[in-house]
Amino acid sequence: MLATAALLRRGVSALAALLAWLAGWNYVACALFVTADILGRNLLGVSSAATVEVTGYMLACGIAWALAHTLAVRAHIRVDMLVNRLPVAMRAPLHLVSLLLLGGFAAFIAWAAWELVDESALFDAHDNSALRIPLVVPQGIWAIGLSAFVLMCAVLLLESLLALLLGQPRRLDELLGSRSLQDETAEALEAVGATPGPKA
Amino acid sequence: MIALVLLLALLGVVAFAAASGAAALPVGEILMLIGVFVVVFGSGVYVGAVLGLLAFLIGFLFSDRPWWNFAGQTLWGPSSNYVLVAVPLFLLMGEILLRAGLSERLYRALNVWLNRLPGGVLHTNIVSCAVFSAISGSSVATAATMGSVALPYFQNTAYSQRWVLGSLAAGGALGNLIPPGITFIIYGLMTETSVGALYIAALLPSLLVTGLFLLLIFGHGLRHPLPKAPPLPLSVKLRALTDLTPTVLLILLVLGSIYAGWATPTEAAALGVTGAMAFAAFERRLNLRMLHASAEATARNTALLGLIIFGAYLLNYILTSINVPQATARLIAELPLPPWAIMLCIIALYFALGTFMEGFSMIITTVPVVFPIVVALGYDPIWFGVVVTMMVEIAQISPPDGTVMYVLQGMRPRAGPISDVFIGVMPFLLAYLAAVLLLLVFPEIALWLPRAMS
Amino acid sequence: TVPPGPRIAITAVTQPLPTQPQYTLVDQPLLRDGLRARSNGRIEVTLASHGERNLGGAEIIRLVRAGQAEIGAGTLTTLSGDVPILDGIDLSGLAPDIRLARRIADAMTPVANRDLERFGVRILAMYPFPAQVLFCRAPFTSLADLRGRRIRTFGNSLVDFYTALGAQPVSIGFPEVYSALERGVVDCAITGSGSGAAARWPEVSTHISDLPVSWAVAAYVVNLAWYNRLEPAVRALVDDTFREMSDRLWQLGADATRDGIDCNIGNREGCRIHNLAARPMTEVKATDADRAETRRIFEQVVLPGFVRRCGARCGEIYNQVIAPLSGVRFGG
Ligand code: NA
Ligand code: NA
Repeated sequence: MLATAALLRRGVSALAALLAWLAGWNYVACALFVTADILGRNLLGVSSAATVEVTGYMLACGIAWALAHTLAVRAHIRVDMLVNRLPVAMRAPLHLVSLLLLGGFAAFIAWAAWELVDESALFDAHDNSALRIPLVVPQGIWAIGLSAFVLMCAVLLLESLLALLLGQPRRLDELLGSRSLQDETAEALEAVGATPGPKA
Repeated sequence: MIALVLLLALLGVVAFAAASGAAALPVGEILMLIGVFVVVFGSGVYVGAVLGLLAFLIGFLFSDRPWWNFAGQTLWGPSSNYVLVAVPLFLLMGEILLRAGLSERLYRALNVWLNRLPGGVLHTNIVSCAVFSAISGSSVATAATMGSVALPYFQNTAYSQRWVLGSLAAGGALGNLIPPGITFIIYGLMTETSVGALYIAALLPSLLVTGLFLLLIFGHGLRHPLPKAPPLPLSVKLRALTDLTPTVLLILLVLGSIYAGWATPTEAAALGVTGAMAFAAFERRLNLRMLHASAEATARNTALLGLIIFGAYLLNYILTSINVPQATARLIAELPLPPWAIMLCIIALYFALGTFMEGFSMIITTVPVVFPIVVALGYDPIWFGVVVTMMVEIAQISPPDGTVMYVLQGMRPRAGPISDVFIGVMPFLLAYLAAVLLLLVFPEIALWLPRAMS
Repeated sequence: TVPPGPRIAITAVTQPLPTQPQYTLVDQPLLRDGLRARSNGRIEVTLASHGERNLGGAEIIRLVRAGQAEIGAGTLTTLSGDVPILDGIDLSGLAPDIRLARRIADAMTPVANRDLERFGVRILAMYPFPAQVLFCRAPFTSLADLRGRRIRTFGNSLVDFYTALGAQPVSIGFPEVYSALERGVVDCAITGSGSGAAARWPEVSTHISDLPVSWAVAAYVVNLAWYNRLEPAVRALVDDTFREMSDRLWQLGADATRDGIDCNIGNREGCRIHNLAARPMTEVKATDADRAETRRIFEQVVLPGFVRRCGARCGEIYNQVIAPLSGVRFGG
């Protein structure tokens, strides 16, 4: 049963990673879009007349689509000075409590987002840019990202709960605990080109 | 935690005022909420969820309105605000520069000059952050970029982890103060003050803060001497300076585009990204894999901040809808005190709010109320913009809630409690506050340069 | 003449900034203090500006609809994203003078309310800001000179208007306009004559047009369910207050329009509401040719654009309600 839950979690994590990649490339596109707008305005005399709105949507959707992946790689910030000093047996249920709270918060956000989409649909709302983008489009994309975040919380909760019930608190700690020394070092070293600095 | 004590003291003042009938704030409940806040924070809950939980508690206790009906708009508004787009753009620029090796070159070039001072490589942390701040307008991006370069340097060294993290957090908190900076853009946006003039006014104060940080490290280095690196010949040191060229070019691109009138301060962040990609291409380091890794890291760090911002804005909505920031600001303005004392109270208010509020939401909700008071008291809007920015930077490094500290904690090579960051940043926090007080006593530190240049 | 009874707490979120004359000269004395005094202290209005509540302005109808505030106010162009018919009341080039602008607003209020009441809100009064005029950082003498210039605009009808003139509309957030003008990111920007004075645009621009392109007409909206639940006497008092506020605000709009220009061009005698510019601007008086061109563009570009965005029904409403006042029919 735990294995099935783990499989499910891995599947959702893969989906979350895909969403986060899209979110990241969306920022690259955003930078190029604004640069093009600056160049177009100064050199060619053309401007999108919707830069403000479109880049705002790119930010909102970028945040929403990367939330689930950030949770999967345990990068969301927790204040864990107390919890990390406790033995695993006590730590595990606390992890579960904090994930439960996060899941509740995520569900509320996602609900609020879909309500907003609903309201925009009721109003048939458009933005005031030259493109007159229907607000349900960016807000819907945003709400999808937030829903993926809820899904990620849910599968993690399922697996953690099973692990706790089956008496495997260490497994739960690996799922939710702070990222290990190896993860972090590897990542930092990879980013700076794999040269540990001189011992100055 | 000092900040929290001050917060409690300030709440004591509010309680006193409430008891004497000046404002009808439910003090007992507020104190209870702070108790809940501290306990929940200790047990390892996600920061965004804690802020959201706090918003729920306050909302259900004090608000008689169906605030949840407006939550979607409350969260959508700020997260689709084009001014905040500069944050991921500056982060992306930092990630690309990191992978293109520019940050590393910057750090190494400066290290050659600074590592033999008492305090050693800690000086490099501050100065490299300061130089990087001149390209990047985000404190979080500055701390994240220079932190990823610097932290590996300190593995297996005798340097105190607390001082390493503290100096990087402090250096990161220069990111907004040294132009360009997102806080100035937002402040200029709300008060219709020239962002260009704000940037110029911030130059001397940022030198002052940087100088105080270096003095602090110098003092620490004298008290805890470490073995010095071997001396290098001057020719080597001079050659190291050429490594600063790309950084200088990027500074010219980002700040130059603003002053030449090609781009708005928000748009300049996008030019920074394109410039960083051009630099990486020149270094033959630009490829899909590298760009993909930068994009992924940007998405992750923006989402990490986004979750906190969701909680912060929800909390902020509830607080403003029950008039807490406004009531407090008015209470302070109506105190029978001379202008400088009221200004001191305003600074104390920002300090207290900053311990648990996120910087953006703090200025967005208080500046519309506080700004007219400040102008009426006879203070210069440009000067106040610099002070507010410094208070936002202080908010980012004042425990328990500070984004710069969280980002650094998130990238530590060796896991450790977040209290290392909290304690390490304390001396720098006090130095930052000292700089604000100096600016209060000598406003010319901010005002002389804009006047001399116009 | 409100009978004694329980306290009535009202939250009103009105102007964008607490320093605007609409806020200090009307909202504070009439809405906040006036309602309290005339209800013998029963009505307690908590007044806030958009900025204090961290709102952008486009979400005001939703704010009131969701019961977060009983009363809200916002400019129609900004609100038209949610309710497109509102844009038709304040189209660029529609009303060359403020008297006509008021007659159009008054005629359209009941029509707009038919749309708004579906969403649970209703307009109590409409009011203008000072005339929306052009501020430029380089000299110009007529509308024709604007060809090729980068102009910061907001809202669809202004984009249509300046595009038709051969200018290049640029999308920049209002907060960044000051520095955009200062650095030449844009050549011109449009805002209320008085709002430009308040935002110290004379520091960063040199020429100001006196041709009103539109009036930034705004509206006070109330939550309909709350409004209907009010005691008849209280509702009558609220209605009276808004009628009085509306009169005061239209007068203020007329005064502030000329006052704003006078302040911007350094005419000390005419400058009473806003701040006198330290660096006076040059006033560019509109010619008859400019007025004719404005009308032509309105008829041929702005109005068809509005109907295209809003739908055929909006064209019919325009022809029924506004055309008799403006003298320009949609579809000839
Ligand atoms: Na900076
Ligand atoms: Na803080």
